[in-house]
Amino acid sequence: MSGSDQARVVAAQFGPRAEAYLQSAVHAQGADLAAFAGLLAGSEDARLLDLGCGGGHMAFTAAPHVREVVAYDLSRDMLAVVARAATERGLGNVRTEQGGAESLPFADASFDWVASRFSAHHWSDWTAGLREARRVLKPGGRGVFIDVVSPGVPVLDTYIQSVEVLRDTSHVRDYARAEWEAALAAAGFITQATRMHRLRMEFASWIARMQTPAPLATAIRALQTAMAEPVQRHFAIEADGSFMIDVATFEVTRPL
Amino acid sequence: MSDTKGEDADEVPASDAAPPQQAVDPRLLEILVCPLTKQPLVYDRTRNELISRAAGLAYPIRGGIPIMLPDEARPLDA
Repeated sequence: MSGSDQARVVAAQFGPRAEAYLQSAVHAQGADLAAFAGLLAGSEDARLLDLGCGGGHMAFTAAPHVREVVAYDLSRDMLAVVARAATERGLGNVRTEQGGAESLPFADASFDWVASRFSAHHWSDWTAGLREARRVLKPGGRGVFIDVVSPGVPVLDTYIQSVEVLRDTSHVRDYARAEWEAALAAAGFITQATRMHRLRMEFASWIARMQTPAPLATAIRALQTAMAEPVQRHFAIEADGSFMIDVATFEVTRPL
Repeated sequence: MSDTKGEDADEVPASDAAPPQQAVDPRLLEILVCPLTKQPLVYDRTRNELISRAAGLAYPIRGGIPIMLPDEARPLDA
């Protein structure tokens, strides 16, 4: 079992960087968060799980619209930041709990909503995490999964996974849209809509947020300039290393 | 270096038998199960732990946050 080893790597990577993820504009803002808030209309009585909450941005977005939010993450330091920020923002209905996505400590059908943003690419067993998300969701319940996705084309896929793991050694995999839709179906979800958008990663802050060691950051820059034109074009790599990534939002339901 | 524990110093003395000031939220307790067995948990108010008899583990609660990681749980036989 490498699951707990991966858990340690993730906790070690994100613990000291919790505050950076709370403050990060890339994470705290976005049309995907606004769209998520819109989906929550009429969910005043709902209990929502933010699975792999990180800096808590889905939890904070949801809290004004639902009865209760459980912010769940592997990193205790991240949860401490989320709990403090929730208090500062007057969001009294956000609870925090620590654990892994692959083995959720919630009874079957506990939640009306499951939300997860920029987390699944860290899970050591992605399909187990999706099955667990479905298990804790009520029949008829709704889910939103948002994550960086691979373009799917092999050369682009190899490049993005390489860059991701150089930057963050707790990276597991950015899955392609088609892989996501197949895995969601296999886990027992129905995908109601998939939305794609592009997000610009400003190189300096992207590296600083994760405190990527200098030799690895240098390797990313070398890789960026050495790659062939299709890679340069797809990721719109700029002179300073800033680039665009593909992000997908999957809106799902658990069938009745 | 960042000091992520700067405001998190509300340790409860081990000798204090009263429930700690940051106990687990009762509404959270309703839906909590053991992550290994998916069986219900019993809240031990004195030790501020969540007991899974089926798994033989006691999950700690630190700063009001249940730590639902088997690796960090206390074996009940110990």
